Amino acid sequence: MKKQHIASTVFTIAALAIAGCEKKSPQEAAAGGEAPSTIAKGVPLNTEFPPELIEGTPQPMDVPNLVQALVEPPKLLVPESTTLLSKGKMVTGSEESPLIGELSLITDGDKEAGEGYYVELSGGPQWVQIDLEQSAEVSAVWVWHFHSQKRAYNDVVIQISDDAEFKTGVTTIYNNDYDDSSKLGKGSDSPYVESRFGLLVDAKGAKGRYVRLHSQGNTSNDSNHYIEVEVHGKAL
Amino acid sequence: MKTESSVISRRDFIGKTAGGIGAGLVLGAPSILRASQDEAADKIHVALVGFGKQGKVLLDAMSNIPGLHFQAICDIWDYNLKGGIAKVRALQGHTPKGYADIDEMLATEKSLDAAIVATPDFWHSPHTIKCLEAGLHVYCEKMMANTIDAARAMVRAMEKTGKLCQIGHQRRSNPRYRYTLEQLIKGKNICGQIVNINGQWNRAVSSSQDIGYNPKLAIKPEILARYGFKDMHQFMNWRTYRDLSGGPISDLGAHQIDIFNWFLGVSPKSVFASGGNDYFKTREHFDNVMTIFDYETPQGGVRAFYQVLTTTSAGGGYYESFMGTEATINISERSAYTNIYRESSAPPWDDLVSRGFLKRQAAAPKVQSADAIASYESAAPEAYALPGDLSKPPHQPHLENFFDAVRGKAALNCDARHAFESEAPIYWVNPSALSRQPINLTAEHLSV
Repeated sequence: MKKQHIASTVFTIAALAIAGCEKKSPQEAAAGGEAPSTIAKGVPLNTEFPPELIEGTPQPMDVPNLVQALVEPPKLLVPESTTLLSKGKMVTGSEESPLIGELSLITDGDKEAGEGYYVELSGGPQWVQIDLEQSAEVSAVWVWHFHSQKRAYNDVVIQISDDAEFKTGVTTIYNNDYDDSSKLGKGSDSPYVESRFGLLVDAKGAKGRYVRLHSQGNTSNDSNHYIEVEVHGKAL
Repeated sequence: MKTESSVISRRDFIGKTAGGIGAGLVLGAPSILRASQDEAADKIHVALVGFGKQGKVLLDAMSNIPGLHFQAICDIWDYNLKGGIAKVRALQGHTPKGYADIDEMLATEKSLDAAIVATPDFWHSPHTIKCLEAGLHVYCEKMMANTIDAARAMVRAMEKTGKLCQIGHQRRSNPRYRYTLEQLIKGKNICGQIVNINGQWNRAVSSSQDIGYNPKLAIKPEILARYGFKDMHQFMNWRTYRDLSGGPISDLGAHQIDIFNWFLGVSPKSVFASGGNDYFKTREHFDNVMTIFDYETPQGGVRAFYQVLTTTSAGGGYYESFMGTEATINISERSAYTNIYRESSAPPWDDLVSRGFLKRQAAAPKVQSADAIASYESAAPEAYALPGDLSKPPHQPHLENFFDAVRGKAALNCDARHAFESEAPIYWVNPSALSRQPINLTAEHLSV
């Protein structure tokens, strides 16, 4: 599990200063009840949301700058030609045999919170990768890790590339690994609490055939989970 | 591992040392028997009986405890079983054997030392007794059983077999709770006379919905029927059915009412409860329950109010509050809900703070109000916090205590007899609510 963060007044003040002069992500904007602040033109991106189902006893979440669980859908304007590209596409991962479930659950369209809808990978840094079968201009990636308990996943990094090995031409569209513990580079996105509304990431038209999602455990246990990932964009 | 030349087998050693300690010693009793270095390094062979949500929580907590070998997993749902096997393989690098049926597991696995029982409540007693009679020490999740007679049978089985049986009231091993009871309440009499208790566990509707499952993974009806379930909904949501569980007062309330009885050191004399299906109209169990227990302690009478609401999160989550003439302790598994408040008339606690027993909290801002009624209120109590915090998963200390006891290095913090003494009043809450009558609790109600 990610090391405990030591709260720092300096850190907090610095974060507030940065927050005041940067555009907010769809997640942060929705958490603050604000309108999206990404592109001026386009159509709203929509998806179906699963019902809320929270189980069990909440676990402490000692994570800095944590964006609380959304109570309404995040909003994002995307180009009119945007479609769902990932449904039914092949998923591979850093672990061939997940602990629970199968990698295909990630693109099967089911976002329910119950048993049998999620895939669980072992502890430590793990990744899953969606093959869109052809290069695409990606508008957004929408991620549901696990939402039957309020928790935050550590070191969430989302990358897009035409290289299946992610050695060249990699665009990082989201990174909340604030201390670079995954060695993929230090990120400035805010960690967030999972909810049925998922994590919506503005991909800003990044190009690539493959989408890779990293994580490193969560605030409740060491494991890594995915219920569903949607990649929205336009095939090239 | 034990050598061939050893005089007694590992299992014999574990059994004899544990039997030597016996069940139900006082909290914090020093070890009577100690394993040798070789024995202490030996693995304890563990079976996981039931690998649903709670089974996973317990495995996560045990993953931090050295010296355990997870040898077998038993669950009637192939989905749970496969997941458990994979998680254990990832944890220990060795594949455990999987079983759907506990009888087959116990007949096959002859080198087991201990079982962790995390099946639905109505299976706790049969599974625990089977394991005890097979020569295993048992850690069984609370509530002990869905009926008081089934819980009684567990106590009798523990005492007849001489095996250890720890019940999963994990707060009994939580350093925060133990420190509060032993150092502050007993050691410093910090509350003065405890005159009232208040406890609650309030959950939002969103946290109380039926648990879903992917229908592609449903268990065959004949298997469900063999193990006492009408259908998959019952299997997933057994907590809402009267024949399978005690409902929210048992599922959530048992943890906290156990603390009432543990801290006071006595059982209540009466219970009066009210419950209803206020939101979840079709559930067999009440969704909201309120209960009053009356106690007689050596210091005087104590009334305790407990509510479990599965329809609202109002009121700040889950905690227990011990109100005394000199202080009130609010305590919870969550440190955020834990504070101690000194009455203005109580002796100062400067010495306790300087010696590290308490931490002073920042003073709360004074409320400025022109409200004339405010002048009749007592002065606001000063808030203090406990030193330190639990840095482990909440269940880990209780499991550590169990395995220490299996090794002969500790006494159980919550053996089945003590758990029964604490749980027995809870079995009378639903009958009181159903009859809308108070129940005077006699030895007949509370004894094994």
